Amino acid sequence: MSKKILEVKELSKTFKRVHAVKGISFDLEEGDIFAFLGPNGAGKTTTLRILLDIIKADSGQISWNLNGNSSSLPASSLIGYLPEERGLYLDLPVLRTLVYMGAIRGMKQSEAKKEAMMWLERLELEKRANEKLQTLSKGNQQKVQFVASIIHKPAFAILDEPFSGLDPLNQELFIGYIKELNKQGSTILLSSHQMQLVEKIARKVFLINKGKEVFYGQLGDIYQNSAEQHTLEVSFNNHLPRETFETLEGAENTISEDAGKVKITFRQGMTISEIMRVLAGVDSITGIRSHNSNLHDIFLDMIQQQKS
Amino acid sequence: MNYFKQVLTVTWWEYTRFYKLKNELIGIATFLAIFLVFNFGSRFIAKTFDTRHEITILQNTDPLLAEKLETRFDIKWVSKDEIPALKQQMEEEKEGMLLKKQSDGSFVLFAYKQSRRVPTLENLLHEYTQVTRLAASGIDKTEFEFVMEPPLLEAEFIYEPGRGQRPVLAYFFVGLMVMAIFLSFAYQFTAITGEKMLKITEQIVSAIKPQVWMDGKILGITLTGLSSMITYIILSILGGMVYFIVTGASAAMIIDYLHVPAIILFLAFTLMGILMWNAIMAAIASIITDPNNSGKSSLMMFPIVFVILTFAIIGEPDSSLAVFLSWFPLTSPSAMPIRWVATEVYWYEVLGSLIVLTATFYFLRKLAAKIFRITILISGKEPTWTEVWKMAREK
Repeated sequence: MSKKILEVKELSKTFKRVHAVKGISFDLEEGDIFAFLGPNGAGKTTTLRILLDIIKADSGQISWNLNGNSSSLPASSLIGYLPEERGLYLDLPVLRTLVYMGAIRGMKQSEAKKEAMMWLERLELEKRANEKLQTLSKGNQQKVQFVASIIHKPAFAILDEPFSGLDPLNQELFIGYIKELNKQGSTILLSSHQMQLVEKIARKVFLINKGKEVFYGQLGDIYQNSAEQHTLEVSFNNHLPRETFETLEGAENTISEDAGKVKITFRQGMTISEIMRVLAGVDSITGIRSHNSNLHDIFLDMIQQQKS
Repeated sequence: MNYFKQVLTVTWWEYTRFYKLKNELIGIATFLAIFLVFNFGSRFIAKTFDTRHEITILQNTDPLLAEKLETRFDIKWVSKDEIPALKQQMEEEKEGMLLKKQSDGSFVLFAYKQSRRVPTLENLLHEYTQVTRLAASGIDKTEFEFVMEPPLLEAEFIYEPGRGQRPVLAYFFVGLMVMAIFLSFAYQFTAITGEKMLKITEQIVSAIKPQVWMDGKILGITLTGLSSMITYIILSILGGMVYFIVTGASAAMIIDYLHVPAIILFLAFTLMGILMWNAIMAAIASIITDPNNSGKSSLMMFPIVFVILTFAIIGEPDSSLAVFLSWFPLTSPSAMPIRWVATEVYWYEVLGSLIVLTATFYFLRKLAAKIFRITILISGKEPTWTEVWKMAREK
């Protein structure tokens, strides 16, 4: 049975007049790949900074239990952190920077050097180990920054927007690194607004919007819940007003995609035949298509439901 | 990983990041080259311009005056009739001096323009006038010298300050401290504001506590300043050795400067002074988001004010102000050594002042870490002092 290594209860944080985090609770088990999802400004980074004690919460509780040590914040050697705001010593050699990053996380110099060289070889940057970081391309700088945050093989890695600024090829590469890190025993907590990437690796998700929980649970559950709700793409003669669909019996969420097309999510538990009977009452419908929701759509639907 | 190990890691990182012996030596070589160019250049220029110039006097001029003038000028004798033509020539050639002695003993000078030769001439005329007036008064030269001789004063003091070399040593250490502080400031600003601008800070403080980060920075950069200081000291010693070898002077005189208790005392105050100022500057640098556009960057000149203040006590080392400055931590690193060589300072004063200075450093480094912690993620508008004070009280 997996054990809980992080428990967060009723966490809140306000900056002047902005309520950034509003009483959120979640927990992580050993070996999880946990995704913290939400749009920009949702409160993801603030939560991660609170977890790392970079900023203080106004209220709430955080309990860690990493490698059998219960404490408010585990030793830095157990944690890896890739901040959203990227930056390293541009004027210093790559290898030297990586060794320093390993050393402040408790690694021996020789050990850090060995690990750094192993990573640089994997990234095909070994020949540039003694070059200044600023001579590397932006993509390679991102890779070096990633290595700097996990060089010490942390038991718990926090990756804030790990895919931002990467091209599709490198995004896939990073997904591979994260999976591998997890396989080696690291628990991963990542935050992102790129949900199509996250759904490829995450097992547990926490959807957050404006500091509040929108959904929290297994990724499978969110699809399961979604499957019990039918979403249809309906085409119609464009002289028909959108309001016609909003007032339909059982329609919970209506999104206009373009003129003459609307995406309608019906009430949970409503069967296809019931929906067809409702739609039969509307003239001018020219086509109906079932829509398979991805995480992005589900998230948008949930926010809409939360609003309404 | 314990606190000391982490501090040591950061200290060594900062030190090796900024202290480059090669750059240091290049800097010193450049400085020496500039010094040599100025030294020999100015001598060459002085030699070039130190040629004898011509001065014109009338044929009936006192031979004694002519004799005096001849020591610095080439004399040209003319008759009264030749004066208009001479003046015309001076105007054309834009050069020349004509001196006339009046019947009342005064002089009239006619020259194309004011030059450095005029004060030289004034000195010669002063000497000549003294001699002629002395002769006219009938006073014997020996008598005159006796009248002008200052009285003899045999002084006996209860307290004898240190030998003349010790003040030199005190000023030497104060000078080195100022140098180390200024060198450190440049590094401190680069280290802290640079890291903030490059957005490295967040990753670092997720691994180490702000206090560890701050202590490592202060120690590493102090070490950098001290290394520069040591480089200069070694070079001074080498320069001294070359001087003794070349001139054949006795090296024994240098022993006079090596007063061990004084060196220990000065070193303790110098070291604590550098650490304290580095802690202050680290706190200031933590607030700055962009050094190029921050008004707070000018605070780098802050310490020089306190060092200048120290020099005010040299004349009155026993005054209340001097005693206060030698205890006040912002001035004591320079004021106490200067007071110590100038007057009698009790051991408990020295010890007390050093304890106050050390305690000030201890609390300032804590304050610097606190300011850093609260300003760590501010990257837009720079907080004002009032805002920082409020934040420091809140957290």
